[in-house]
Amino acid sequence: MNSIEKYQPSPREQAFLGKVVNGKYDRQIITGIAKFATGDVSQDMQGFYSQEELDRILELKGTPRDLEARMPIKITRHYYEQAQYSRPMQTLVKASPKETYDLDGAEDPGKQMTYSPREGLIHKYELGLLYVASTCSAHCRFCYREELIGRKEITREDGTVAPKGLAQLGEIVEYIGEHNRAVAANGGRHPETGREKLREILMSGGDPMVLGNKNIAAWLAGLAEAGVENIRIGTKELAFHPQRFDQTFFDMLDAFHEAYPEVSLRMMVHFNHPDEFLRKTPDGGYLDNHGGGLQWIPETRVAVKELARREWITIHNQSPIIRDINDDAEALRIMQREMLRNGINNHYFFCGRDIVGHKAFNVPIERAWQILNESQKGLSGVEAHARLSITHYKGKTEVAAVTNEPVPGVPGGDKGVVIFKLLRSAADARDRCKVTIVGRNPEAIWFSGYDDRVIFDEAGLYSMYGINPAFLQAAE
Amino acid sequence: MTYVVTENCIKCKFTDCVDVCPVDCFYEGPNFLVIHPEECIDCDACKPVCPANAIYRDTDLPANMRHFLELNEELSRLWPSITDSKEPLPDAAAWDGVQGKFSHLDR
Repeated sequence: MNSIEKYQPSPREQAFLGKVVNGKYDRQIITGIAKFATGDVSQDMQGFYSQEELDRILELKGTPRDLEARMPIKITRHYYEQAQYSRPMQTLVKASPKETYDLDGAEDPGKQMTYSPREGLIHKYELGLLYVASTCSAHCRFCYREELIGRKEITREDGTVAPKGLAQLGEIVEYIGEHNRAVAANGGRHPETGREKLREILMSGGDPMVLGNKNIAAWLAGLAEAGVENIRIGTKELAFHPQRFDQTFFDMLDAFHEAYPEVSLRMMVHFNHPDEFLRKTPDGGYLDNHGGGLQWIPETRVAVKELARREWITIHNQSPIIRDINDDAEALRIMQREMLRNGINNHYFFCGRDIVGHKAFNVPIERAWQILNESQKGLSGVEAHARLSITHYKGKTEVAAVTNEPVPGVPGGDKGVVIFKLLRSAADARDRCKVTIVGRNPEAIWFSGYDDRVIFDEAGLYSMYGINPAFLQAAE
Repeated sequence: MTYVVTENCIKCKFTDCVDVCPVDCFYEGPNFLVIHPEECIDCDACKPVCPANAIYRDTDLPANMRHFLELNEELSRLWPSITDSKEPLPDAAAWDGVQGKFSHLDR
């Protein structure tokens, strides 16, 4: 592999890598609408797109509203089999002309590329994010990494163009090593940036689980050697092809743990809807387990159990709340219950980002908060740990509350207020838990929907763009 | 669901594709490479790096190259896996672009 060739593994790494075997996987991926249009798919998949749907999609080919130019169409056999009986899963994976009705949006909404010191690495907080793969086994239509998956270029804030390419192991290990040495030599803070040690790295993409075991193992070992203490793997493969979590994969993990016992692994999994992991009856219901809980799709359950029984691995689910997929309190309630029962922590739910075409997917911020809040009524405290998060340029921000009591004198205040809490700023930790309060706008799907109704901005979510609180705007 | 190596790889075998493949699905014969159709994950990484422009997505295969789809499937089951690039064949530059190389395929 290219990402490994320039890097010289240590004897300890080599000993570990020598034990790793690649598995073989039969994902039976279908890529491209042409396969469905020409009938070049298995008999039972022929009707997955209706003729009318196909006509409407093909009409857009080559136009600025081309759906496959925005995000290639891709599905695995496993996902198809579940999606046949699930409207939300079909919405997730089937291309629809509504995606490009309105192309309003930003190419790089979190301004991620500003924080990229090396190709394929985003360095935020004490966490680094790596792009290690540029595809997934199937494609979520709402994906906000469309530049990477669709292979587009990104214009940075300073006007330079970046290919948003993949991380190279040697370069990344060198960067992390240099950063951490500088931090250690300076008493725990980087002398120039003031940042802490890079303790945690998220392998993302794309989906790292499309890579072979040897390739994943090379990343794990390289990062461990660079001093990373916690490695995250961000993956939707449990939904797309759970059979990827086979014995060869777990053998690799066990060998890694033996070689690097102090490094923990955090599997950041991505279930959007319980239909993706629960068995369903022909009439669409779920099946009870005798002793409690609901019955899972067997392959998915085995994969989760194998991960969960390793004490050095934790599993965390995070999911955006997307229109017509999971803007459904009952579905989210079932999902949160079943996650925790099976060893998966409920981490974040996200508001959709303002990517190009986001209007087809995004649920208004206040409605997303209400859906999540409704879903958590009746959950026990440990089941209801998930928070609603929205990614501001400054950093990860929680939508902490939406009130219904009028606050006079502010635009939107007659309906109440929205309270944002900056969980951490991307550059450093100083602004943690500072708050911004705005008058309500039930239509708002991004921060900009509140520009004219800021009440209080301790977190600086608006002042950084020169937007003052509304009472100051009125005085101007 | 696959990319396909076609005629212009024969007697060239530049192997740039092997380095970028995330799933190591290339298999190597004496003077030709093939892609295992069930292992390929359609990531599109190999196509742009092939100096001989020999790789196509199956849906984009020119009509006269259609038979390479079956050939890739057949040979990928017979030949050994290749995961690291190597020097191209000695006369690769001279053979790049030559028409009618199919008869030179060694199995």
